Parts: sequence; structure tokens; C-alpha cells
Amino acid sequence: MRRRLSRDGVRVVDVLRRGMVLASAVLLTACDLSGGFKGMAVDPPREMPSFAFLRANGSSFSTAPEPGRPMVLFFGYTHCPDVCPTTLADWKRVRATLGDDAKSVRFVFVTVDPDRDTPAVAERYAQMYDASFEGVSGDALTTSRMLDAYGVAAAREPGTNATGYLVSHSPQVFLVDSHGKLVALYPLGTGWDALAADLERLL
Amino acid sequence: MTLPALPSRRLPLAIAMGAAISCTTASAPPVERFVVRSSWARIADSGATSGAYLEIVNNDSVSRSLVGVATDDAAAAEVHETMQHEAMAHMMPRTDLPIAAGAVLTMEPGGVHVMLVDVRRALAVGDSVRLRLRFSDSTDVPVTVPVKTP
Repeated sequence: MRRRLSRDGVRVVDVLRRGMVLASAVLLTACDLSGGFKGMAVDPPREMPSFAFLRANGSSFSTAPEPGRPMVLFFGYTHCPDVCPTTLADWKRVRATLGDDAKSVRFVFVTVDPDRDTPAVAERYAQMYDASFEGVSGDALTTSRMLDAYGVAAAREPGTNATGYLVSHSPQVFLVDSHGKLVALYPLGTGWDALAADLERLL
Repeated sequence: MTLPALPSRRLPLAIAMGAAISCTTASAPPVERFVVRSSWARIADSGATSGAYLEIVNNDSVSRSLVGVATDDAAAAEVHETMQHEAMAHMMPRTDLPIAAGAVLTMEPGGVHVMLVDVRRALAVGDSVRLRLRFSDSTDVPVTVPVKTP
């Protein structure tokens, strides 16, 4: 049975219930009947709020839409040995498939574990896979609001002395178009070629 | 098919050759009880988390379990399985993974994996990590796992 641990700072646990509801809503409204997406199309596309982060070097990063630049988002944590690195490795393949067009895509890894993942750690983790990947860690409020907005659930789980706590989290990838609208989701297990195909369509 | 008759003086030689072949067959190395293949590990910074994936063949005539992994290349190695529940991905510890007689345990992304906690040094493509697999019959199997392109 999963234990939900309380924590200071980001109220990940509190986000869980709301996240589940939102995730369900997004998934229920997502279908593959419109838009021709290989992923699960969100119909109608959902306008997403923007979030700002500080990088380790003090510069800012925002998820606000940029003309001609779709954004790929994933929420994970750097102590994650399986799902998160698999996702980033898939992005690397997507990027290679897109060739020069990949420069227009913003690949963004957002940590759900800002207590351990500082901005420097999150950034380094993402860039270990590709120098163009953005890895960000927000303050408690930003993280909580962003998880809410995307319907991402996250909860601490007890680990061992060696691992410290683990974090269970929604594993899907989000595709936001250059107008800031969420257009498709990619559940865990979706082939990376689906995301590549959908990005080619948007670019 | 009929073999030509051997001259009697060649008979001892033929017997000796036959014996040699028999001996070669008899001294062939026994099949390893556990065979590990297609193993690979993920890149990681020093002190960070990595993951390793292996295929383990149980050549024994009875079911055996993978009961643990040890390593000197990380603070700890734990076998986990990624499970999806309530729309979230969870990591479930696996301290007893049965492998049926003659079957293969296949670790792969999104499933069973070895979590390497706090790796002692940065792992880049071309490096390797050394693991010791512990099975339920108390067999320890050392394996060197190459770090591969993620």
C-alpha cells in the first residue's frame, strides 16, 4: 500500500488528488480521432498557463509559447533510474530523427523533486542526454501549480536507507504547440517515433 | 553407409582416436547454471543514480530466484520493477524474482531493472560496472555490465 508522506515546501501529496482528477480529465478528453496525432490528441487543444524558472546561472526560463517552437514536457526526478532516463533517451532519438528541425523544439524536463534536484542538478541531468535539453527546478509554489495545471500526480514513497525516498509520478510526455496549447499526450510505453512524427507535423 | 575395413595394424590408432574424441566430449565445460547476456547500464554522473538491465538465463532444472545484487561501483544496487498504478509510475522493490527452469528473466526499460544508487564515479559510454548477482541457491554470479548509449 502506498504511503503518502507529508513534506514541507511543495505539497506534492496535496497535489495528488487534484492531479489525478485533472489527469483523468485530460485523458478522458484525449482521443486519437482529431488532428491526426500519433500520440493521444487533446481535443480541443487546451491552452496552458506559463511558468517561469530560474536556471542555476541566474538566467530565467519560461514555458511561455515562442513562435514556431513547440514544447515537449516531462515531469520526473533525477534519482529515477528507469522511466525518466528512458524518456530523455527517447527524446534524444526524436531529436536525431528531426535533424536540423529539432533546433526549433524545446525539450523541457521539470523535476517533481525540487528538494533534492536543485536547478543545477536538474539542468545537468537533462543536458547529460542532450545539450539542448532544458532541465528546470522550480520553487515550491511554481512546481505545485505546474503539476496542477498539467494534471501530473506525484507522491513520495518510502525507499531504503540507500535510496532515500522514491517519487511516484505521472509518466506521460506532453506536447504543447507554439501557441501554448496542449495538443497531445504520450503515455508511458508510447514509441518515441510517435512524438517524432507529431513534431514533424507541427514544425 | 558401410565403413571400409581397417587394416589390423591401424586398429589401435583408430581406437586411440576414438578414445580421444570421447575424452574431449566428456571434458566439455558444463553448462553454466546462470548465464547473463545483453546487459547494459545507463550513463550517470558521479554520485547520481544509474540503472542496469540484464537478461538472465536459468539453465538449472528447477526454478531459481534472483534475490539480490551487490556492487562496489555504487553505494547500493537494488532490483526494482516499474509498475503503473493510479496513472503513476511506481518502483516496486523485487527481492525475490523467480526464473523458471530453462526460462529467461529479461530486464528492460519500463520493467525490471537494477537501480544503482550513488555511483562511485561518472559512468560514460564505454565504461562498465561490476555487479554480483545472488541467486536463491546461494550462487553468486559476477558480471561486468557495459555502459551504453542511452
